[in-house]
Amino acid sequence: MISSSHIVGKQASPKCPALFVFLLISLFLSAGAFAKATLQEPLSPQEKRGKQIYVQGTSASRNEILAYLGEASLEVPGSTMACANCHGLDGQGKPEGSINPSNLTWDSLTKPYGVTLSSGRKHPPYTERGLELAITRGVDPGGNRLPNVMPRYQMSGVDMSDLIAYLKRLGKDRDPGISEINIVIGTVVPTSDALAEMGKAIKAVSIAFFEELNTQGGIYNRRFELRFVETGDTPENTRGRVERFLKDEQVFAMTGAFVAGADKEIVALMEKRQVPLIGPLTLYPQIGFPLNRQVFYLLSGLDGQARALVEFAANQQPTKISSLAIVSPESEANRSLIGAVKDQASKHGMNSVENYVYVTAPLDVDEIAAKVQQKGQETIIFLGTGEAALAFMKKAERLHWSPSLYLFSANAGREVFDAPLSFNHKIFVSFPTLPADQTAEGVREFRALAEKYKLPSNHIVAQLSAYSAAKILVEGLKRAGKDVSREKLITALESLNRFDTGLTPRISYGPNRRIGATGAYVVSIDLEKKQYVPTKEWVDIN
Amino acid sequence: MKLIFTILLGTFMLCAGVPLRDSGNAMAQARPKAGNKSARRYTCPMHPEVVSTRAGKCPKCGMTLRLVKDTSLPSAASNNEPELATQQTGSTRLNIPDTPVLDQNGKRLNFYTDLVKGKTVAINFIFTTCTAICPPLTATFRRLQVELGEHAGRDVELISISVDPTIDVPERLQAFAVKFKAGPGWTFVTGDKSEIDTLLKALGAATADKNDHTPLVLIGNERAGYWTRVYGLSPPATLAKILAETANQK
Repeated sequence: MISSSHIVGKQASPKCPALFVFLLISLFLSAGAFAKATLQEPLSPQEKRGKQIYVQGTSASRNEILAYLGEASLEVPGSTMACANCHGLDGQGKPEGSINPSNLTWDSLTKPYGVTLSSGRKHPPYTERGLELAITRGVDPGGNRLPNVMPRYQMSGVDMSDLIAYLKRLGKDRDPGISEINIVIGTVVPTSDALAEMGKAIKAVSIAFFEELNTQGGIYNRRFELRFVETGDTPENTRGRVERFLKDEQVFAMTGAFVAGADKEIVALMEKRQVPLIGPLTLYPQIGFPLNRQVFYLLSGLDGQARALVEFAANQQPTKISSLAIVSPESEANRSLIGAVKDQASKHGMNSVENYVYVTAPLDVDEIAAKVQQKGQETIIFLGTGEAALAFMKKAERLHWSPSLYLFSANAGREVFDAPLSFNHKIFVSFPTLPADQTAEGVREFRALAEKYKLPSNHIVAQLSAYSAAKILVEGLKRAGKDVSREKLITALESLNRFDTGLTPRISYGPNRRIGATGAYVVSIDLEKKQYVPTKEWVDIN
Repeated sequence: MKLIFTILLGTFMLCAGVPLRDSGNAMAQARPKAGNKSARRYTCPMHPEVVSTRAGKCPKCGMTLRLVKDTSLPSAASNNEPELATQQTGSTRLNIPDTPVLDQNGKRLNFYTDLVKGKTVAINFIFTTCTAICPPLTATFRRLQVELGEHAGRDVELISISVDPTIDVPERLQAFAVKFKAGPGWTFVTGDKSEIDTLLKALGAATADKNDHTPLVLIGNERAGYWTRVYGLSPPATLAKILAETANQK
């Protein structure tokens, strides 16, 4: 009773500062909520279908859309000449090769006092019907014929209304996962028993990184929101989970995702859904043509490392080698690696590279060692495990033969340090990055973060990778500017040139380049001291 | 006949307001044919009202006067639609360098010897990251290829040269070719940037910015030494007709 009258008393007083503050806050809150609601209003199903026509030139209902060029004499599928090709994803128009496509944003098309174009063409504001005539007949509301380079389109009535519905949103329509005040970033973490700890470490470092960024003020007034999705039991399962995740969580971009095992599935999904993915954790980057534009890798995978090993071997002094052999375990996954080795070798005139396949180590390996020796090969790219390599070298020693052996660091652990001494300085191992890449400042920054957020002390490599990926994403977002879109992010990332993460080799991308650091360090082993011979020699294969 | 083409179309281009920069070299190389008995007239490229019966300089601007001969416009250029009008300039000689290039399969070729020598060719200029002007240009070539039928690759060679060779590696050209269903007898060309730049200059298609590249198509019959530049977005039938006429040049 007392307390209630106390409250009443307080509310009754008009000069009460608490009430005033309360009111102000609720006012702000409601205004904020309102602003957020308008900004994030997603496209309606109709507008989405219209967007597909605008961007891809195809109909969601699979109706035919045709474009006619040059007095209707040239008929092509609408997908060849989608609206966005010339008018841009933002509708502003992309001038190119003597043509100057007009601004298609609704505000610009419907200026109440009409539109005067730079070409001198004038017309009254567009209406829906007017737009339809422009698209199908090539006539503007002033009765002027549109330039011939603007195709005339033929599409169903439904598709036309969808397209016009989208044109009203064009330029104001943001990519999913971004508003004035936030940006949603996603990542994939492993949860299976063996990888659960790694998953936790990746999660912890990602949360810490973006949390720290938010406390520093976010970017362009936007705060980062981080969302996680867990891997499934099979690649297909993981793919399904990530696809649902992208849809449900409205993720703008992905970073540092753990995709190993589902490499192909996940990156294909990113391409399909047009979601940028920066720095996936994988040994198998998918970089063939046509290029998957969405996915940016940090370091060379095994493919790039294989090329770096060949490059290093080919340039060995004092005498250049004229041939090499590949020894590999029987595995489908090695096919592209063998192709990469052969391709790189052919650049040095080595056109008959033989591949020796073993099924079980060490039994078959012994046999193969004898065979390779008979062929007189002195340079061997060994694609198998460290144990198999060790068996190979032991057999070679028994044959009084000590060729140069090239291995991946991902395959060769400390077991190769037990190799026969005859292989001293004859074992070479590829590393996509070395501690020497870490700058004092990079390390200091990461340590400070680790301390502040009590990051786990294990799985440091995975943590550094996720951390560097997030850093690159943020650099891309900064460069893309305030009006960022996924497309602008990709363009911004493509402009990165020797960007210093502080923890990896310098990162560069380009329209044809999706691996930040193309190449590897090649390090030899001192078998007497049982350590790697320090090197700063980076083998670039770009 | 070649000469008539040259001069009249040159004049036509002037009237159409097309800058002479691209066609200047080609026109300068025009030579009167031996044994030509018709009356000779000379005029200034910039001042068509200046006409003289003798070679010399223009009294208005000092430019060297060029030889003219009157005849009616060839049918191929009589399209009355100004934007699609086939804007041409002919030349009896064009020095085509034997630039080392790569095709869409990564095969090494020498531009002149392997693609142009002794052939009738249509050359356009594209780059694969160009989304506005290149798809229509390429779709036009695709249609041209269909219209040419079995002649494509046999008597007539279609060539698309990348104006962005640094980015357009053969793999990219290959993907682009597949997208537009390019068949045999249509070669996509890229190569070392400085080499391609030299080639583009020689063909009169060099621009500082790839986005400024013009939608022109260079059509020529190397055997006859006949060359003409046309608007790349002309109806494919028009281009096919010009190609046929070019192939028949002696």
